Amino acid sequence: MELPDSTAPSAAGASRESGCDEHRAPRDLQRALLLIVATLWLLDAVLQIQPSMFAPGPGGLSGMLNSSAGANPGWIAHSITWNASIFYHHPVLTNTLCALVQFSIAFGIVSKRTCRPALALSVAWALGVWWFGEGLGAIFSGGATPLRGGPGGALFYVLLAVLLWPSEGSDRPFVAARSVGPKAAKVLWITAWALLALLAVLGSGRSPRALHDQVVRMSSGQPGWLAAIDRHVALLLLHDGTPLAFSFGVVCVVVAGAILLPPTLTRVALVLAIAVFASIWVATQNFGGILAGGATDPNSGPLVVVLALTYWPLTAARATPNDTAPDSVVVAEAT
Amino acid sequence: MTMTPSWLYYLCAVLTLAVAAYCLISLIVKVCTRRGSGWDIDIAHTFMGVSMAGMSVARWAFGATVMWEIIFAVLLTWFLARTLQSVRHHGVHLSHFLVHAAMSLAMLLMYRFPVRVRGGSPTGPMSLSSAASRLDPGLAFVLVLIFFASAILTLDSSARGASHHTPRGSTPATSASGGPGSPPIRLERRCGRAGGVRGLADAPRLEDASHVLLCVLMGFLLIVMI
Repeated sequence: MELPDSTAPSAAGASRESGCDEHRAPRDLQRALLLIVATLWLLDAVLQIQPSMFAPGPGGLSGMLNSSAGANPGWIAHSITWNASIFYHHPVLTNTLCALVQFSIAFGIVSKRTCRPALALSVAWALGVWWFGEGLGAIFSGGATPLRGGPGGALFYVLLAVLLWPSEGSDRPFVAARSVGPKAAKVLWITAWALLALLAVLGSGRSPRALHDQVVRMSSGQPGWLAAIDRHVALLLLHDGTPLAFSFGVVCVVVAGAILLPPTLTRVALVLAIAVFASIWVATQNFGGILAGGATDPNSGPLVVVLALTYWPLTAARATPNDTAPDSVVVAEAT
Repeated sequence: MTMTPSWLYYLCAVLTLAVAAYCLISLIVKVCTRRGSGWDIDIAHTFMGVSMAGMSVARWAFGATVMWEIIFAVLLTWFLARTLQSVRHHGVHLSHFLVHAAMSLAMLLMYRFPVRVRGGSPTGPMSLSSAASRLDPGLAFVLVLIFFASAILTLDSSARGASHHTPRGSTPATSASGGPGSPPIRLERRCGRAGGVRGLADAPRLEDASHVLLCVLMGFLLIVMI
């Protein structure tokens, strides 16, 4: 069967207009990472319009919001239940608005004209979700272990919006430095990972029974292969939950400090961080519960991976066209 | 307890039918003007739009399941062949034909593994049938991520009409723009500027919009079916 090469004329035209491949500028890494964030927002938006989200009562979104009030201090819990009551009375209207905001953020980030307003909206929205939807990540109730998504996926959206804020600065030593500068970016990195380390060993984060029960609860409704993984992980946590929590805390501390090390060691630590959080996303976060149906977001796993990528040390050759900083003022690459 | 807002499914069905109608007009224009570029995408989008409308609103469905399975199996084979051809001609790259192969695969899977009844309304896709077998949620999730990434990258692409035509070395439906400051690329069209129906069918932005809409709606249906 001969296939017509219908792409040829267009291909030729495009190549003529855009220039040869060899002369194409390197891809803007900040832009590429923003597009990943936009994809995650689009996923969130579509998850928001699942039929169950429009349902009134405890089976719908209002019930989900109510449950996040949990063991928070009284006034915080009250604000969460107050918000949930609005969703309870107007499930269709409120959920439609939530979805529209998230669609606006996703598509707004893609357009260069609306990227900044969309990111600003994402910060405000994510903070609202963190408070009213995630119950402040269960920090006050002592259940904010990163293994289950603590301190809340929404906070990572805020962090990524700040670190990927479009700017014309240098991409070196890493993309995150472009918007806030290398020093502030390093402070944010160390703070974030120190918080993850702390949350891993505080409260129920180091309790084998609590970790086991959380995984068992999550495994309900998952496909067979994921439920099998959950069973093994639940048993592992039941037997060695505390040592695993402390080991995870040590990994977080190592990753936090690695940003101050030479680029090669930083890369090793980032690969470790990505591998650990990719595993956590599958094994304990269960993809945010999406495969069981009724989830509202993919949890923190992919966001932490994107965060790690924003700190990937770049070689001089990989700098973006915006990179106009002289070599003398940027961190020298060991490579 | 009713869990399904029926307007959501009607909206989904109307949008997919709109995409199908646009792609059908575009296909007719291409045949009339003897243009060879992008006609297979138009055919695929037309079939996908019509069948997704039937999935969204059961009353709007027509044709035997096996007929749709054959159609999407043929489309899957065709786009895989086009992907191989594209790789052979232009070297290793992520062709947008691969995304359309994934879309055909998703359609095929949605017919092969009808959803379980889970308290849906008679208008929703969950009413299609109640089968013991179930589409693996993991595979469905991977496809959803591919479609959403394709939608975002198509919108970001500086090559207008990227979802239907692949310039060499770039991957419009699966890659980001050429870089900051690069001028927008308008893919060369044989019939040039034209008004009326012909102009409408020849609008690269509309081609991209139809692809983006189909990707998002297909992702939505897959998530609902998980």
